Amino acid sequence: MSKKRIRVCIVIPSYNEEAVIADVIDGVTEVFKKSAYDFGIVCIDDGSRDRTASLAKEHGATVIRHILNTGAGGATATGLSYAEQNAYDVAITMDADGQHAPEDVLAGVKIMIHDNADLLIGSRLINTEGMSKVKIIGNKGLSFITYVLFGISSTDSQSGLRIFSRNALERLRWKTSGYEFCSEMLWRAKQIGLTISEYPIEAIYTEYSKAKGQNNWNAVNIVKSLLKRRIAELFG
Amino acid sequence: MSRYFLLLLLNLPFIIAAVLSAVTHYKLGRSSRRRLTVQVIIWVTVLIALASAEPIYTWLFSNELTTTEPLSLFDVVQITAIVVTFYIANRTRLKTQFLERRLQDLHQELSIRLSKD
Repeated sequence: MSKKRIRVCIVIPSYNEEAVIADVIDGVTEVFKKSAYDFGIVCIDDGSRDRTASLAKEHGATVIRHILNTGAGGATATGLSYAEQNAYDVAITMDADGQHAPEDVLAGVKIMIHDNADLLIGSRLINTEGMSKVKIIGNKGLSFITYVLFGISSTDSQSGLRIFSRNALERLRWKTSGYEFCSEMLWRAKQIGLTISEYPIEAIYTEYSKAKGQNNWNAVNIVKSLLKRRIAELFG
Repeated sequence: MSRYFLLLLLNLPFIIAAVLSAVTHYKLGRSSRRRLTVQVIIWVTVLIALASAEPIYTWLFSNELTTTEPLSLFDVVQITAIVVTFYIANRTRLKTQFLERRLQDLHQELSIRLSKD
């Protein structure tokens, strides 16, 4: 009797990424084709004004277009909801700017299945080689704030590379729709008792991803939103 | 009729409505147990504060801890306005949160369904 192949959904939330989306999809496809998994790539086009959606479709991804731009949290929620509805066993979220190596994505799935974790985070800060000092400070600062506000100890709370078990797909929900969802997601996962673990990944910084990446000043908005969420939670 | 009693009488409907609304939301599964507890604590505190305004004033006055005038009609109107504003603000916050959630869910589901067509 043949063993059922694990179905993996790779979710790529994207916004105006026509310059790199095709390469990202091709890279992931190439690596996963050689793996033992059944996989599907779904690109969540978060209201892009360029050719992101059509390029993603041309390169074999399923495209879900958001009518309105909701933010990274909203796009990720849509992608994971799609994975849940289509009965995938594992879902992965990764950045659309080419920051993540496809080999790291595949390695994450293997680690997740081996460790039987519910939520696995690809941490760029275990090995910070190639990352600018400003980015290191910004990301470590946000991880520290996540720890202070929610008691979550993570070396890289803002990483976009995350792997979810079926259990996590069914139970994990969050409320924020911007970048602050990264920290809130970890908090909600802790609240519902999911097991969270990390593994080291390489962060690939090109001129494009540096230009597209988050400005450190946006961290102020993230902290404000997290504080608001934390206080609102105190009052129910 | 005592002005303190009038103050309580004017505010009581809003307090009862707020507590009833919190309980209804919880029973219908729209809010958490924590939210219910916090809401009930807030409104019961308001009720206790209003109900004990006269004894507290009398005690402070008789012990010469205050020399202010007793509650005026303007004070009654002002305190009632504050309680009503708080009641409305609280309801609006809950409604906004609920609608925000619904809109997010609707947008998400609509996007997924449209992508299948």
